[in-house]
This record gives sequence, C-alpha cells and structure tokens, in this order.
Amino acid sequence: MTVTLHDDNTIRLLGACPAEDGESLLQHLLANPTAEVDWRGCESAHAAVIQVLLVCGRAVQGPAAGPFLDRFIGPALARWKRQVPPFPVVPEMRKR
Amino acid sequence: MNEFVEQFLLESRELVAQAIDDLMALEDKPGDKDRLDGAFRAFHTLKGAAGIVDFAAMAKTLHAAEDILSTLRSSEYPITSNVLNECLACLDLTSRWLDSMAASGEAPSAADRDADDMIARLVDSMATDEGKKNVALPATDDWLDRLSASASQFSEALTAVRYVPDPDTFFRGEDPLSIVASLPQLLVVDLALTNKAVTLETIDTFSCNLEILALTKAPIADVHIALRAISEWTDIRQLAPSSQSPGNEGELAQVTGLLEAQIALLREDRAEGLLGRLESAGQTAANALLYLRRNAPAAAVELAMATARSQRKAAPLIAAIEQALKTEAGPPPPTSAPAAQAGSVNQFASRALRVDMDRIDALVKLTGELIVVKNAIGHAAKRAQDTKDPTRVASILRDQHALFDRLASELQGAVLRIRVLPLRTVFRRFPRLVREIAGSVGKSIKLVTEGDATEADATIVDALFEPLLHVLRNAADHGIETPERRASIGKPTMGTIILRGRPEANNVRIEVEDDGAGIDVDRVRAVAGARGVASEEALAAMTDDEAIDLIFAAGFSTAATVSDLSGRGVGMDSVRAAVERLGGTVSLRSRPGSGTIVSLMLPFSLMMTRVMTVDVAGQAFGLPLDNVLETTIVGRDLIVPIGSSRAFVLRDRTIPLLDLADTLGLARDESSRQPAKVVVVAAAGQIGGLEVDHLGDRLDVMLKPMEGLLGGMRSVAGTTLLGDGRVLVVLDIQEMFG
Repeated sequence: MTVTLHDDNTIRLLGACPAEDGESLLQHLLANPTAEVDWRGCESAHAAVIQVLLVCGRAVQGPAAGPFLDRFIGPALARWKRQVPPFPVVPEMRKR
Repeated sequence: MNEFVEQFLLESRELVAQAIDDLMALEDKPGDKDRLDGAFRAFHTLKGAAGIVDFAAMAKTLHAAEDILSTLRSSEYPITSNVLNECLACLDLTSRWLDSMAASGEAPSAADRDADDMIARLVDSMATDEGKKNVALPATDDWLDRLSASASQFSEALTAVRYVPDPDTFFRGEDPLSIVASLPQLLVVDLALTNKAVTLETIDTFSCNLEILALTKAPIADVHIALRAISEWTDIRQLAPSSQSPGNEGELAQVTGLLEAQIALLREDRAEGLLGRLESAGQTAANALLYLRRNAPAAAVELAMATARSQRKAAPLIAAIEQALKTEAGPPPPTSAPAAQAGSVNQFASRALRVDMDRIDALVKLTGELIVVKNAIGHAAKRAQDTKDPTRVASILRDQHALFDRLASELQGAVLRIRVLPLRTVFRRFPRLVREIAGSVGKSIKLVTEGDATEADATIVDALFEPLLHVLRNAADHGIETPERRASIGKPTMGTIILRGRPEANNVRIEVEDDGAGIDVDRVRAVAGARGVASEEALAAMTDDEAIDLIFAAGFSTAATVSDLSGRGVGMDSVRAAVERLGGTVSLRSRPGSGTIVSLMLPFSLMMTRVMTVDVAGQAFGLPLDNVLETTIVGRDLIVPIGSSRAFVLRDRTIPLLDLADTLGLARDESSRQPAKVVVVAAAGQIGGLEVDHLGDRLDVMLKPMEGLLGGMRSVAGTTLLGDGRVLVVLDIQEMFG
C-alpha cells in the first residue's frame, strides 16, 4: 500500500504513488475530513495524486522524500493554497 | 563613434564571416562536428560582444541561434537545411544591424522587432524539423504574467512553458508531471486547476484537470525537444532577460553568467579547436570585465589567455577567470580611474587594419638597417669634409646609395604588403549568394573556390565584390542550363562554377568558370546588331572572339533587359568599367556546349606601378610597363601609310603605328630621318606601336591620379615625380588606342 491511514488523522503517502492512488487518497480524504497528508515517505507521485492534493487544500506534512516533489510540487501546492501569486523562488536555484 | 563600438564592429564582421564559412561548410557536410563547433563558437563570441556594447536585441537573437547550435552539438542529428537557412538569415540580420550601427553609431531602433521575428523563425526551424507544428493554445497570455513575477528574479533569458494536459491523459497511462520533471534546468513549477469549481466531492480522479506552468533556464530549443511528444498541449515562450534589475546587480549577474559560461566552454574535454576556444572565451571574459571597469582582472585574463595559448592548455585561463569571478563578486571599484580607462580605450585605433605580426617585424628589421645606412652616410659626409681624396668619398657614397636603394625598395615592398588581403575575404561571401541565386532561378549549382589565399591590395580586394557578383550571377542565371536540360544532354544536373584566384607576375588573375552552355555567338551578333552596338558590316567582319567581346560593350544590355531573366550581358559593361577603373582587364572565353570562363586580370597593388620612360619632343612620358610588349627600331622605309594612318610589319603581323608626338599634339622636329624607335604595346586585346624619340629607363613609381580639373583628362593615368624633380606624366595606353 502506498496510501495508508495512520492514527486516524494522518494520511501517509509512501514510495512511488501511481495514478490509482489518486482515487485511494480521495476516499481517505472524504472519510477523514480533518486528516492531514504526510508525504515525508513519498518518493514520487503521479499527477492524479497531486491533483487530489491540489483540490483538497489540506495541510501537507513535508518535506517530501522525492526531490522533485520537495523542490517544485510542495511550493506549488502551498502557493495554490494561498492563492497569492507571485510565488517565491526555490532557494537552491537562486543565483547568488 | 566610441572606440568600443568600432572594435565591436570590426570583430563582429569577422565573426559573422567566420560563422558563414562554417555554416556553408556544414551545408556540404552536415555531420561535420568541427564546423558545427566553429559556428557555435562564432555565434557565442558574437553574442558576448553584443552584450558588451549593450545591444540586447542582437544578443538575444544570437543567443537563440546559439542555443539551437548547442542542441545540435549534443545531439547525434546532423544539421538540417531548415536550421541552416535560419542561422544564415540570422547572420544576415546581424550584418544589417552592424551596417546600420556603423552608419549611425547606435543600435537600430527596429532591432527589437526584427529580433523577435528572427527568434521565432529560429525556434520554428527546430520545431518543423521535429515534424511537428507548434499549435498555439487558445489561452491568453495571462499565464505569462503569473510567471513573469518569478522570472524577474532571474537575470538571464528564461523559457516559460504552459502545459494543459488533455483530460484523458491519465487513461493513456501518462504522467504529465513526470514529463515536466524531465525538463532540463527547471527553476519553478506552478500548478493550477483548469476548473476551479471542482471539490473533493465532485472530482473525477481519472480525468486530468491540471494547468502546469514551468520556468526553466534551458534554451527554448531544448525545451521544444524535451516536450515534443506533447507539443499539442503546450505553449512555450522565450522570456527576455529581466529588465527590472538594472544597475550593478543586473550587470554583475550578467557578467557572472558570461564568465561562468566561458569556464564551461573551456572545461569541455576536447582537444580539437582548443586554441579557438581559448581565444574566444578569453576575449569574451576580458571584454566583460572591462565593461565592468575591472581593468586589473581583465588584464590578468588576457595574460592568462596568452599563457594558455602558448601551453595549449585551458587550465591557466580557467584559473584566471575563476579568480576574476571571486574578486568580482565584491563591489565595483570607485570610478576614480578615468585615466586608466582612457588608456585602455585608446589602444583601439579609429581606423583599424589587422596585420600579420611577421609583416610588422619585417618593417622593424628594415628600419634598423636603414638607421645603419643613415649613420654610414653621416660618416661619409664627415670624411668628405676632412679628406682631399674625393674619389674615395664618392665610392663610399655610391656603395651606401646602392644599399639605401635596396633597403628603400624592400621597405616599400614591406609597407605595401601591410595593405594586402587574401582574396578569401571577398570569395567567402559568394558561396552563399550563389546558393541563393541558384535557388531563385531553380537550378542547383555548386560553387568551388580555388586559390583563395592569393593576395592582393586591400583596395582591389574590396572593390572586387561588385564585379564578381555580376559575373557569378550571369554564370548562374544564364551560363548554367536548367537541370532538365543538363540531364537531357548528359551533364550532371548540378552545375559547377569555379571561382579561381592566382597570382601572375605582378598581377592577380581571377577566373569565373562555369560548365554551362557557353555563349551563342550568333545570338550575340543578332542582339548587338539589334541594339546598335555595332554596324552590320562591322559585325560581319568580326571574328567570333571579337563578337563575344561585344558583351562587355556599353549598350549591349539595356535597362529594359536588366532583370533576372535577361540575356547574358547583364551588367557586363559595368564589370569591365569597374575592373578597368582598378587598372585591370576583363576577357571572356567560351566553349559552346561546355562552358564559359570570364577572366579578370588585376594589378597586385594600386599604389605601385612599373613604368618605362620615353622622350617625345623633349618631354618625358611614362608608359605603364604592363602594356609594353617590346621595343623595336623600324626603318622609315618599312612604315607604310594606310589611309590616314600608318602601319608597319613586325614578324609577319601588321601593326598600326601612332606617332606619340602627334597624338599628344606636340610639335616634333621633322628633320630627323633616323629609323623610328617604336614601343610595341598591348591594350584592350589589340597590339599597336608608338613612335617615340628616345627610350628611357624602367622605374617603379607611386602613381598619383589626376585630380580636380585635370581629373577628366583622357589618356593620362597619373603623375609621379622624377629624381630630378620633373613631373612625369604617365599615359593610359588603353584610352589612347580606345
């Protein structure tokens, strides 16, 4: 299982989450309206999964294990949640 | 115009020429990595130069082209004609910009628009190569605004991507985010929902509802390649470097980027082209530093470049640039060194000519020897004061004069050689033009150049372009047959034009040879008759060669026929006029069915003329030695009157004889019944004799053309001063017999 419910209040994403995990994640989110998402064990996630995260707007505990998720998707989710562009620049990539 | 700009124009022109060279070579051999590297380096250095003079439009255009070349360098695919054409067009545009900059001293105002068009074409050329058409998404540009806030934090040019996957994409097993994750040099990803009304309750997790925006440092061409599988769903744009961070911050970042790019270029682990890379990277880095007034690090980089060149290793230069990067991160030095800066600027002379070091060394050596002779003459003068033996002093002076004479002529030769250029400088513009002309008349033509290392005076080389272009255009347009015609008569469908240069004694011969149909003499006669170039009788009396020569006659081609489709002869009279202005001659040989050779004979140098002096009616005249075939003495009884003129027979050939005194309107003492002294001369393909009173010396002279009121005087080529102070009038034999 790559999507699991933990302590009734945390939905964990683990390893590489395929497209089908979008639906599992959705079911968990619907069943636990206050649950947070924890993707610290998540290496990669299909766009279908990220889309669900985007729609739900719940808090995500990070950082994600996968560098692409951590560097790019996490900030993107946060910005979407805040709905306030412009978004900040990824610190590591910034020119000195 | 400021000195930086002049230096920039000079360098840029060379780089453009070099890039064209390499691209043309790539057309022949699309897989030639060395040429690709060469072209890439030229574009790279050009871009750097444009950055230094703040010519943003040029920099970004060249950057786009450089990106494409860089992509091609790292790919296995050979360059395609599409890309080649656009890169050449990009160089054309650059040349036009340089021209207008040379005229006005500033970047042309419309440059930005032209640049954008050009970049779009360049990017398109890559896109169409991939066999895909970039379908513009109907969406508005508001996504660009959303990204531009982030983009403004970067100083370099960025590529922005908008990707709206098709809703069924998940069903096909695709993951849009993994495609985005694979983009090179990704900086920012932004996510949004295309339908914002979706909630957890209404979402269909198997339908994609995402809008993905991405910002990358990768060149737009790379991005096109990376996203080619999904090009239908993407919108890819080039963002210009941010203009919101002017001042030192921005400049510093730009220069830093530039320096880092040079290091990357130098780090490439390839032995070939190292010297070229050293040169271009070092020069770019030094210029960039100079721009920031970092004179000391710039000098250090230049020094390191020389060291690196001599050791054939990139390491010293890399170290120097890295050092400069380190120190350069600090604040710029106060602008308290205007003097130092002026000094560094003044080293660029206003009118620059690039001269081979060896030639300067030769001058230095000769100067040294001249000083020795000067001292010896001083010594002889002292001896002449003291001594009672004048013959001894005279002999010393004679020796020194001989020495001085030799040195002076060597010095003259060395100075003339400074002004010499290889024909390559003009030849290399033609392959591309011939290609275009051939394309416009629907033929396929190969231009082969031979002997482009042949040298001639810069004035001559510069002036050759126009006449050669006329000749080449004629050869391509009318000499070479259509591919169908060539195939039907068993010739290869691709026509060949050979552009050949070679030295001949004191002249340079340039030939344009085509393997086309040759010239239809009957048609030339008919046209010449119809246009009244020559009378019917004259035409009938002409040999075929003489008739063909009518092509060069003024009036043979009329204004009405000067078009791409006119008969052969377009502008040939202007070719002859141009070449003769340079002191040369044009001739033409035709072999019906197998081709035509147009041959231009030009003097090596405009400045130096060898003349023979003759005396007529007590006055000295010069005859250009190029025209003189021989001198002879003819008995009075052998000169026969023919009509109103005279002629004599020389080796079974009847030669018309002009009396130079009569021709020049001088009175001659008729009492002399001595045999006539005759100079046999050749002019405009004819041989004639000139009767003179005395034959004089042979001289090398610097001919001064007639000016002002005398400028229009016929039959006079120019004047020079003789050793005794008299003015020697040098005659133009061509005009005298013409």
